Amino acid sequence: MLQGKLYGSPQAAVADIQDGSTILVAGFAGYGVAERLLSALLEVGSKDLTLIYRDGPYSEIGSGPLPSIENLVSNGQVSKLISPIPYSPGGGGTIEECWQAGQLEIEIVPQGILVERLRAGGAGIGGVFLPTAVGTRFESGRERRTFPQGEAVLELPLKADYALIKVAVADTLGNSIYDGSSRNWAPVMAMAARITVAEAERIVEPGELDPEAIISPGIFVNRIVAAA
Amino acid sequence: MPPRLDELTMARRAASELQPGQVVALGSGLPARVAEIVPSGAPVQLLSDGGALGYKLPDNGEGASGPSLCGPNGVSVALGKDGSVVGTADWAAMLRGGHVDIAIVQPARVSAAGDLLGWTTAATPGLFAPGRTVDLAAGGRKLIAMLPHTSSDNSPNIVTESFPVADGRGCVDIIITDIAVMRVEDGALVLAEVAPGWSYDDVVSLTGAPLAPPGDLKEIAPSLESLNIERPGKVFPDGPSAITDLHDGATVMIDGFGGPGGMAHHLLVSLRDRGTRGLTIISNTIGIARIVNFGTPAGKLAIDHSILVENGQVAKAIATYPVSPSASRPSTFELAYRRGEVELELVPQGTLAERLRAGGAGIYAFYTPTGAGTLIGEGKESRVIDGKDYILEQALTADFCLIRGHKADTLGNIVYKGTSRNFNAVMAPSARVTIVEVDEVVGAGELDPELIVTPGMYVDRLVVRPEGFSPYE
Repeated sequence: MLQGKLYGSPQAAVADIQDGSTILVAGFAGYGVAERLLSALLEVGSKDLTLIYRDGPYSEIGSGPLPSIENLVSNGQVSKLISPIPYSPGGGGTIEECWQAGQLEIEIVPQGILVERLRAGGAGIGGVFLPTAVGTRFESGRERRTFPQGEAVLELPLKADYALIKVAVADTLGNSIYDGSSRNWAPVMAMAARITVAEAERIVEPGELDPEAIISPGIFVNRIVAAA
Repeated sequence: MPPRLDELTMARRAASELQPGQVVALGSGLPARVAEIVPSGAPVQLLSDGGALGYKLPDNGEGASGPSLCGPNGVSVALGKDGSVVGTADWAAMLRGGHVDIAIVQPARVSAAGDLLGWTTAATPGLFAPGRTVDLAAGGRKLIAMLPHTSSDNSPNIVTESFPVADGRGCVDIIITDIAVMRVEDGALVLAEVAPGWSYDDVVSLTGAPLAPPGDLKEIAPSLESLNIERPGKVFPDGPSAITDLHDGATVMIDGFGGPGGMAHHLLVSLRDRGTRGLTIISNTIGIARIVNFGTPAGKLAIDHSILVENGQVAKAIATYPVSPSASRPSTFELAYRRGEVELELVPQGTLAERLRAGGAGIYAFYTPTGAGTLIGEGKESRVIDGKDYILEQALTADFCLIRGHKADTLGNIVYKGTSRNFNAVMAPSARVTIVEVDEVVGAGELDPELIVTPGMYVDRLVVRPEGFSPYE
């Protein structure tokens, strides 16, 4: 018997997030952010979290103020951030202050490397040799090798306990499609997390989605919450 | 000093580098403004890490009612008729795999050797945000750096010394500033153009690196004429005309899964008729449809790889399923292998797909647990990572790729149908020339951009399967 994936509230869907968890947060410049799930995580209050995300979400982008990475940091829930753009380039705010005060660890990873490390984590790859970091500050401490194509650096996979993603439409089995820029990191993050929670704009019955159009198959989506 | 160029004129100068058919990845800041210059219907595809391939600004876009998309600076954009929606992993693979013709970034500093520093840390020492800059710097086949010639304190942004830490090494080809255009040639800077009213000496006085005097110093006067030229067409009249350069000794990827469905049969017959020899074929099977006869009409034989093997054209196969499932009905390749006429490299199916993806995505090699401790792992590096055994597998690339699509638009965007998707999405980006046999070619903009599986940037040639063509003979 298939366990139901529908959760009645965002709080219920994230209630079991333990202290010390690693969480992937999808989103690009405010597009595709699971706002209700982030708000619920603030309420649930899990601490000592490691968050892996692309940016913000910056509250000035989008329809209005979004619950953000910064809110979670302000709330004392975060011990480490892994991101290509850990805080708004316009000014660091709380994230920068906490980092300066030594309360927060930050690991900066270029986004193409970060997304490939997550894909490796999700696809069971033990490591990938990428040319991106060769000769840059991001090569530091990593193994470099020469291949017929040129020099490359070993990048190790990243996995997580949870992924919080936003989808346009999910069926009740978790098969999901996205809308435009909301796709961004979500398909890769959904694969790389042990439990993926999708906040869906619309939820439909199995068979209603065009199977050729599905981007994230239901096997990668464990929990579904309505976006509104 | 004479006035400096404004941002839009700099963007216009950058846009004048674009050629028809090119894919151009833009960073934020000044590069994002290039989108304001590229006219509606221009024969180039702008790529945003916001997931838009082939985007335009809404004002000069063609399909403003499409999916909600943003440009590299987070600003809302529309897709052109050539556009499709991609994810961040696709964006990174396009860059790393060498599929982006031009990348444009705004670094903080550039050195004479073409190194760049993406972000200065004066405000917050130690903390910075490379975002996409490192990927763009490493990934564009040609890299344009756009930046003010000097910083707000009037110190030069173009400098001699290399940076102890850098966000890109030796990667910049062209530097466009608000007073000059420079080229990085053999690790040194050559001044190519100056802003109106500026002299060579004026520019040198604000540059922190030696600037070779130009043979012929031009004023910056960008022309966008190349954006009025139509991009080269991709639709070929038939199979034979699409493979006239497929040469002896070529490595060729062929799609397919098990039975006769989902293969580029017309292209296979064309390749047999061409008689090209010494081929290395990369494929899931090397022809089992012909002997398995899934649904083959009585008295007919399925067209598959076997027709090339029978014709003595194949020297080597890199494949997952090279033999017949039935010992009493060996495949053509199997018989040729037993006679010592062909070589074989056996690759597990998942490893084959991953090696193909690696080839197209600019991953040079990867560790996989598949085959560790088995015959497959022999002769390969093995390594324990986090307590688990892995072996190192190398990327696969090819000269040509022959695959079957369902529908294409004239720009080569492809959708598949059912099982015929199989290896196609990972093969198309990993071959130098990708040729797709489709049922139908539709006009640009007629495919749903959310549904496109293989963007046209990976497709070089299209052939419509002839009406009434039978995959059996």
